[in-house]
Amino acid sequence: MRRGIAATALVATLALAATACGDSDSGDSGEKKSSGELSGTVTWWDTSNDTEKATFKKIAEDFHAQHPKVTVKYVNVPYGDAQNKIKNAFSSGSDAPDVIRADVGWVADFASLGYLDKVPDAKAKEVDSAFLKQAAASGKYDGQMYAVPQVIDTLGLFYNKKMLKDAGVEPPKTLEEVKTAAAAIKSKTGKTGLYLRGDDSYWFLPFIYGEGGDLVDAKNKKVTVDSPAGVKAFKAARDLVTSGAAITNATDGWNNMETAFKSGKVAMMVNGPWAVADAYAGDEFKDKANLGIAAVPAGSAAQGAPQGGHDLAVYAGSKNRDASHAFVDYLTSQTVQVQTTKALSLLPTRTAAYDQPDVKSNEMVQFFKPAVDKAVERAWIPENGALFEPLKLQFTKAVTGASSPEDAAKASATAFHKILKDWK
Amino acid sequence: MSSQRGKRSPLASVGLHATLIGASVIAVFPVLWVFLTSLKPAKYAITTDFFKDTTLDNYRYLVDKTSFFTWFGNSALIAGVTTLLGVFISATTGYAVSRFKFPGMRPLMWTLLITQMFPMAILIVPLYNLMGQLGLLNQPVGLIITYLTIAVPFCAWMMKGFFDGIPVEIDESGRVDGLNPFGTFWRLILPLAKPGLAVTAFYSFITAWGEVAYSSAFMVGDENLTLAGGLQTFVTQYTANWGPMTAASVLIAVPAAVFFLFAQKHLVAGMTAGATKG
Amino acid sequence: MTVHTGQSTAKAAGEGARGRGRATGERPGRLRRALSTHWYAWTMVAPVVIVLGVIVGWPLGRGIYLSLTDANERNVGRTIGANHIDATYKFVGLDNYVDVLSDPVFVQRLTWTVVWTVCCVSTTFLLGLVLANMLNRQFRGRAAYRMMLILPWAVPGFVSVFAWRFLFNRDNGLLNKVLDGGGISAVPWLDDPTWAKFSVIAVNVWLGVPFMMVALLGGLQSIPGELYEAAEMDGAGPWKRFLYITVPGLRAVSSTVILLSTIWTFNMFPVIFLLTRGGPGDSTEILVTQAFRQAFVESPRDFAGSATWGVLILAVLMIFAFVYRRSLRKQGEVW
Repeated sequence: MRRGIAATALVATLALAATACGDSDSGDSGEKKSSGELSGTVTWWDTSNDTEKATFKKIAEDFHAQHPKVTVKYVNVPYGDAQNKIKNAFSSGSDAPDVIRADVGWVADFASLGYLDKVPDAKAKEVDSAFLKQAAASGKYDGQMYAVPQVIDTLGLFYNKKMLKDAGVEPPKTLEEVKTAAAAIKSKTGKTGLYLRGDDSYWFLPFIYGEGGDLVDAKNKKVTVDSPAGVKAFKAARDLVTSGAAITNATDGWNNMETAFKSGKVAMMVNGPWAVADAYAGDEFKDKANLGIAAVPAGSAAQGAPQGGHDLAVYAGSKNRDASHAFVDYLTSQTVQVQTTKALSLLPTRTAAYDQPDVKSNEMVQFFKPAVDKAVERAWIPENGALFEPLKLQFTKAVTGASSPEDAAKASATAFHKILKDWK
Repeated sequence: MSSQRGKRSPLASVGLHATLIGASVIAVFPVLWVFLTSLKPAKYAITTDFFKDTTLDNYRYLVDKTSFFTWFGNSALIAGVTTLLGVFISATTGYAVSRFKFPGMRPLMWTLLITQMFPMAILIVPLYNLMGQLGLLNQPVGLIITYLTIAVPFCAWMMKGFFDGIPVEIDESGRVDGLNPFGTFWRLILPLAKPGLAVTAFYSFITAWGEVAYSSAFMVGDENLTLAGGLQTFVTQYTANWGPMTAASVLIAVPAAVFFLFAQKHLVAGMTAGATKG
Repeated sequence: MTVHTGQSTAKAAGEGARGRGRATGERPGRLRRALSTHWYAWTMVAPVVIVLGVIVGWPLGRGIYLSLTDANERNVGRTIGANHIDATYKFVGLDNYVDVLSDPVFVQRLTWTVVWTVCCVSTTFLLGLVLANMLNRQFRGRAAYRMMLILPWAVPGFVSVFAWRFLFNRDNGLLNKVLDGGGISAVPWLDDPTWAKFSVIAVNVWLGVPFMMVALLGGLQSIPGELYEAAEMDGAGPWKRFLYITVPGLRAVSSTVILLSTIWTFNMFPVIFLLTRGGPGDSTEILVTQAFRQAFVESPRDFAGSATWGVLILAVLMIFAFVYRRSLRKQGEVW
């Protein structure tokens, strides 16, 4: 049944291969039998963290109840080295997983390398109609859908309600307000206003979105980090530090940020939903009600935080693609999404899930859903992840004053051009 | 050696002890700090108090909530086999290079040196693919072979130096007794080389026990991880579970330190011979 | 000291037959003779040769080849399930080397790598020498001191590096707390480029001193005590004794440990990577961490680029080892 594939262009090859294989109903072990019953083993590499993994393991194994002949092998791969591990495994093909949970930033990269199997047409249609639009976009590469969105997130402004109240300020809506609020906090409580994470360029994105810019313009294949908006963004970040509104670090940012916020050394930090559990563990938030979350402060032109989240994708080399796609379908079903929101406070990607009482009443959803609605889609290009390394270098330099905002913007652009050859 | 200079002024004596105490504190303190941190509740991990609400919770978490013992077993297996094989093949190689003049000896010596110059960090992907082709991914064997390549060149070099120090007359007496070179090596020379073997064992063990990069690249899944890989699950860019991390560090350091206690008696003697003549 | 294997009785004809089987037709007699003479030695080194050949030789050969191409993750051949994607990378000659060598980044990294290596090795050596000399005397508690001082070697590296990260933390670290007690304001140990350089060197010295100390201690113990006695009788003071007996006595062991420790430090990936990841910015990035970045962090992974860096690192070290041995040989050391 396998048709000859002679296309030279990589993407075309894959698209064809996916269709060809989708049509075939025989061949590799464990594929759909004539009866239509799925069987075999599906290995899932999940990147969820320590507190989440037990829930996901249980959910994954429950798939077995629906398809008794399919065994799901759940493997937790720490998020930190998952991208490298997945690449290693996919490229060598040995011991590779069938299904992966990929950060939204990785999908285009994996897809461009030919590692991912296209999402079956029926499912793709469903994703287009029933899922949040910005979430659906993250699974696409070159017009094809390679991954199904599982959860969505974005950054928000975490604040210590009591400290803000003591200082007599409202949660700031703009960077200017952050500065005035920080001054009030400093004079009333002696503490610092904001912790600005300076050692990770993901935290730079709200600044550049806030000035109405972006790292790159994917449509016109143009590097825009050194545009006036980009320079202003570096300036705004540096300004928070020089004005004393924020403290920062060039290393160990995560730990210092969490410690400072949890122990009440700073009143605010910018962070994602994944940090909530850790914040609650701090002395300042023994009373959970003391934690407030708002949208990230706006810059001079706009308000925006990067859209994050995780997608589920099937390995193109999987020996059990049908069962794998069915498994992905199951993991992204309404029931499972509501279930995970209830258990882990993760934000679902299905529009209809938000009407469910369990989701509606969830505190975290109430915090983050408005922010997610406004979250800015990143350019879903394969080089997405690669851009963050040189950007981190320049962001750290700019924030700590080691180089001027102009130089940082220019140097980032130079580095981006090296990665995005033949872009403007 | 220096007993002839036993008459030391009290002042010099105080100076000597003061310096050594200072150096010992610097040597021990970071390790001690990890231990103290592991006794603090996880949420106070990054504080500067020496003691705060001392508890064993971190250890309990490690035992109850993670596959610590599986990781420990994997590491023990891998480090143990690496040590055994490492000692054996370093010894045979060292002996051959020390005693026989054979074609390929000088290139081999150079290879042993050059191998150590190799930036192993960038070999991860090629080795991964190689292990994939050999079907050794996610298998202890794959890691053992990799660790051998890291440990053996230095060990063989050192063993050569050590064997150089053993009088060649012993070999000759073996030959007179009708032993072939393997017999001579095994029955006569090896027993004399204990200090050298101890150092080799120590070095191989430490290499395999504490390696992070390869073990986290080659092994996947809770049940296959080694300790070093397992520890990576605690601290990533977006989570930092320092409590269990420090507790695990302590438990990892203990076997290494115990192994070291056994080896250290021989360490000086073994290294001397190896390094002087190497 | 070396015994020719030829002195041992030549081995049975079976070996000769094996030799013939492998012979390429050219001078089989000579090969057979070589085999029958040297088979002991060759058997003994065979495991090492095989393991190194497969695990190092193969990637090395491949690395050199890749460094002459434009291979990256996107154009190498690969098989994904049923789809085989053919390799489309091509031979580019020395282009990669020209690119890297003409990039100021290479010189920057090389300079810092050399500074880092020299600082680490010299400090480690001096401290090791001082401590070894102290431990070489007879006094109570010597064994205890020795054990404590060797401890950094016995603890897995990544554990101790994490420990140092705790201590160095600018906002919540113990070092700054102690300094604060002494009225000194917070030192940005890992936050400031210069301090970060200092910090990584300090940690690497901390890790390296035990090895040096043990090696030098061994060297000291192998110097005959009579030499010191004779010198003392001749009226030589402690400094003179050190200069004329200890220093020459340690010559052999020092030359070896300096060579080894230079090689190791030059490629000391874990310390830099775990402590600063090359940061802040790129201020502590050495050649190896740079090559690693190219191979793993960038996408598509630049196989050719990182192979080029790897080959250059190897070349620099080989030149160093060669020159170093030359200069030793000139001084009369034979190795």
